[in-house]
Amino acid sequence: MIAIRNLSKKYGTNEVLKNINIEFDKGKVYGIVGENGAGKTTLFRCIADLENYEGEVISNLNPIKNHLGLLLTEPFFFQKITGKEYIQLLCNARNIKITDIENRNIFDLPLNQYASTYSTGMKKKLALTAILLQGNDFFILDEPFNGVDIQSNIIITEIIHQLKTLDKTVIISSHIFSTLSATCDEIHLLGKGSFIKSVQKTDFQALETEMKQTTIGKKIDKLGLK
Amino acid sequence: MTNRRFKDTGFEPLLAYIILTLGFFGLSIYLFNKTEFAVYVYLLFASTLIGKLSETRRTEFLKICFGDTQLKKIRITENLICSTPFFAFLLYKQLFLFAGLLLVLTTILALVNFRTTLNFTIWTPFSKRPFEFTTGFRNTFYLFFVAYALTFIAVSVNNFNLGVFAMLLVFATTLSYYTKPENEYYVWTYNHNPRQFLFSKIKTAILFCSLLALPIALVLSIFFHQNIGLILPFFIVGWAFLTAIIVTKYSAYPDEMNIPQGILLAVCLWFPPILIILIPYLFRKSENQLSSLLK
Repeated sequence: MIAIRNLSKKYGTNEVLKNINIEFDKGKVYGIVGENGAGKTTLFRCIADLENYEGEVISNLNPIKNHLGLLLTEPFFFQKITGKEYIQLLCNARNIKITDIENRNIFDLPLNQYASTYSTGMKKKLALTAILLQGNDFFILDEPFNGVDIQSNIIITEIIHQLKTLDKTVIISSHIFSTLSATCDEIHLLGKGSFIKSVQKTDFQALETEMKQTTIGKKIDKLGLK
Repeated sequence: MTNRRFKDTGFEPLLAYIILTLGFFGLSIYLFNKTEFAVYVYLLFASTLIGKLSETRRTEFLKICFGDTQLKKIRITENLICSTPFFAFLLYKQLFLFAGLLLVLTTILALVNFRTTLNFTIWTPFSKRPFEFTTGFRNTFYLFFVAYALTFIAVSVNNFNLGVFAMLLVFATTLSYYTKPENEYYVWTYNHNPRQFLFSKIKTAILFCSLLALPIALVLSIFFHQNIGLILPFFIVGWAFLTAIIVTKYSAYPDEMNIPQGILLAVCLWFPPILIILIPYLFRKSENQLSSLLK
């Protein structure tokens, strides 16, 4: 369980997150949606303790960061480190002894090649594999489906379902609504630093329709497409 | 860009250039006093440094911006500028033949380009504990061949000092693995507290560096057994510098190591006992710097 109480974050005078209050229970998958710049990544960084903030982030497992698998939007890789070494590094960091990395390479990544030569999708799959093998209890997946091929998207969706059955807490951000509706129990809409709407699974369809109407409106008409 | 980097580290560019010139001159004199093979080391070092400017993507970018004819002029000019300090010192030492050779090398390097990143994966003995030695070894493995070759020469010409130089080359190379701060994710992800994290980094560095320097130490112990008592102190000083560079790096983290810290380490080169005070001080500072990322 992760509980966020009165969390605010400012960069100088710019208040990016305003008095956020939310609870993430174990065995549930949460989707966070919002426009670019809404504060999703900042919220994730605050939960991960990568940022200073006002307010509280409480958990039954402390410190949260030692039990958290964080998948960044654009994972960073060292030059001249192979995929296998990357996984080894992340497992070493959590004192996880791992001997059969090749067998657990479910995305069929070229683990003996330098990770910096991987495509965007391969990098994402490598970073995801590494945090899964760390044996975390909480997962924050910032755009896990971005740049990933259809086959791998199916696998990632199944992985998220399995994490849920294993009683893990999963928080996902995605710009593709269908990926969220296939995996999440709740979706929270973040706008200008605050949660403006929270929706349960039964109302996902209505949320999508509402978001389409609000976002598109008559904007396409302005193009005057013929 | 160089000026900007100096300003970022809080240094007046003019002062930085003066210090760097003096440092370069001092180290060059030291090298030439220590070994008769200095000129070869010097040429190798100069061409390695200049060779970095011949990277394919960089050259392609310049070609797109300036075209073929201008590109050649630019590349030759920048290579000549970079080789000037080496060229000037070789002239000062009246090594005209080698100065000429350096000019030829500089010009050739301006006309070729090559990928500094290879498509194949270079084997490393340090795969199990990434990342510093894993990536560092792949970038500098040829320097270990140079060090081992120098050891062989040291034995052939019965020159213990050259052998010690080879051992120090190994230590100096591994020090370079700890000069740049890594992305915060690679610190944050550890479930250690700052003290455990630093000890683990130091332990790995000492172990792996010793593995690389041990063959040289063994050869020197066998062929120069009358000097065996000198080898261990050199090892200890090497370990101390390795520890010092790690704590210096993390005492500035997440920023890059700054020039005053670099100068402080350089002072330690002249008088290593300062490390006894410097290491614990920087260790505590590193613990503070890391406390926001490691709990």
